[in-house]
Amino acid sequence: MNSMSRFFEMGGYAAFVWPAYAITFAAIVLNILWARRSLARSREEARRRLAARGEGA
Amino acid sequence: MSRVVTPIAGSLVQTDTAPSTQTPAGPDTAQASVLEAARLALARDLRLAFRKRDQLVQPLAFYAMVTMLFPLSISPELSRLREVAPGVLWAGALLASLLALEFLFRDDAYDGTLEQYALSGQSLTWLMFAKTAAHWLLTGLPLALMAPLAGLSLGVPAAALPGIVVSVAVGSIALSLIGSIGAALTLGVKRSSALLALLTLPLSLPVLIFGARATQLAISGGPLLAPLELLAALAVLGVTLAPLAAAAAVRISLE
Amino acid sequence: MTWTWFHRLASPPYIYTLAARLTPWFAWPAGLLIVAGLWGGLVLAPPDYQQGDGFRIIYVHAPSAWMSLMVYTTMAIAAAVGLIWRIKVAHAVAASCAPIGASFTFAALVTGALWGQPMWGTYWEWDPRLTSELILLFLYLGYMGLRTALEDTQRADRASGVLAVVGVVNVPIIHYSVTWWNSLHQAPSVMALAKPKMAASMLVPLLMMLLGFTLFFGAILLVRLRGEVLSRERSASWIREVVSA
Repeated sequence: MNSMSRFFEMGGYAAFVWPAYAITFAAIVLNILWARRSLARSREEARRRLAARGEGA
Repeated sequence: MSRVVTPIAGSLVQTDTAPSTQTPAGPDTAQASVLEAARLALARDLRLAFRKRDQLVQPLAFYAMVTMLFPLSISPELSRLREVAPGVLWAGALLASLLALEFLFRDDAYDGTLEQYALSGQSLTWLMFAKTAAHWLLTGLPLALMAPLAGLSLGVPAAALPGIVVSVAVGSIALSLIGSIGAALTLGVKRSSALLALLTLPLSLPVLIFGARATQLAISGGPLLAPLELLAALAVLGVTLAPLAAAAAVRISLE
Repeated sequence: MTWTWFHRLASPPYIYTLAARLTPWFAWPAGLLIVAGLWGGLVLAPPDYQQGDGFRIIYVHAPSAWMSLMVYTTMAIAAAVGLIWRIKVAHAVAASCAPIGASFTFAALVTGALWGQPMWGTYWEWDPRLTSELILLFLYLGYMGLRTALEDTQRADRASGVLAVVGVVNVPIIHYSVTWWNSLHQAPSVMALAKPKMAASMLVPLLMMLLGFTLFFGAILLVRLRGEVLSRERSASWIREVVSA
């Protein structure tokens, strides 16, 4: 328990270290979500374009 | 639009014969015609600008107003204003130059002159250089001449004024050149002012940094040769590269 | 003969399926390396002599900064390839890079500020490296803004391509700014390929994080690339098979 709390305190720098890690982690997660959503949206648009063409043709 | 399209653009079309039957006068004639085309483009831009003299005054008036904001919002004390004077003078010049950039290509794109330039067979790079040179003569140089007035209103000592004029004059060359790239990229985009600023400012920051440094040294009486040389180097770099990029951008925008 | 692979890479349907197949090969190693790097950096590495446990920010700051530069360079190269050889796939690569680079540039600036405050007494300083890194963020934003403003995809590709190439001059400025000017930012301790000045127990997790982030970029790029390629394709045949899957 002692070493856990020492880990979280980061030698007194916790207020700086953990937000830094949090924001980097957020950047990573955001990139994953954003990329997947962008691909899904492109697929949906392509599907819609195909459908419109199919009906028009 | 009541603007008269001068036939200058038509006269830029290369009347040389096709390469295979070209007389062996070679590079000299080609060079002469490119410079001639550039000179014509420059003269045209200057002439057209003087027909709308009130538009010329706008960036200068803007500069004066921006400069005025700081004594009114920070402090009327000249000693304090003197400290921020380099930044104010340069940020104001940068913003005023940005304002004027929108006019660089707008009219020509609108009435098809730019397309004529692109199709004329003349070097579009040289024509871009000519247009940017005209822009500097109409905006940057007047701003440089006005900077002493702005400086005096901010408590700048008279001895510093020549240095300020020179640094703004040289720096604004680079600003016009860098700005021409952004202006060419955003041709025809509606409400592009903010986007143009976003594109132009990052690349203009070195000019701002060195220019403000030169102004600061001018005020404190120090040697401003070093930052002036850097400003000149940026201007030279801009002259060699920016018209090329602007020409490429114009071609892309016109396609 | 050697150009066939190049031509295949320029073919959108090939790229689409290739990107889908390659993504796990980037994603899983990236994840493992990052987890291992975090473990090594946060737990195993000893505290620094001068900075104590605060130095551990390097394990997120340095990879983010590396990403911001590497992604921009990739974007500029892809844009140049697209402009010179008029290859749509290259423009799709450049477009995919921008959001990734922008987000990590932001992370680099914030983690740098959080590192700067306890160590050097200030969140921010207008020194060359920090200023040019901020400029890099604006370059990314300008690139993305230009793309959004131009509705025609081909014009957007080519115009933003010119912008990316013009702005690449900022990358060496950022990288060399700490050696050219006296800067608040510390001199490179790992970037110089010479002998690193760090202990192995601290260095190895850092290298793992750098490599892990790079592979992560590859994975995200591949995912985005598929979408970008799709949106540039009008011909129906290969799309039909792909989107109904």
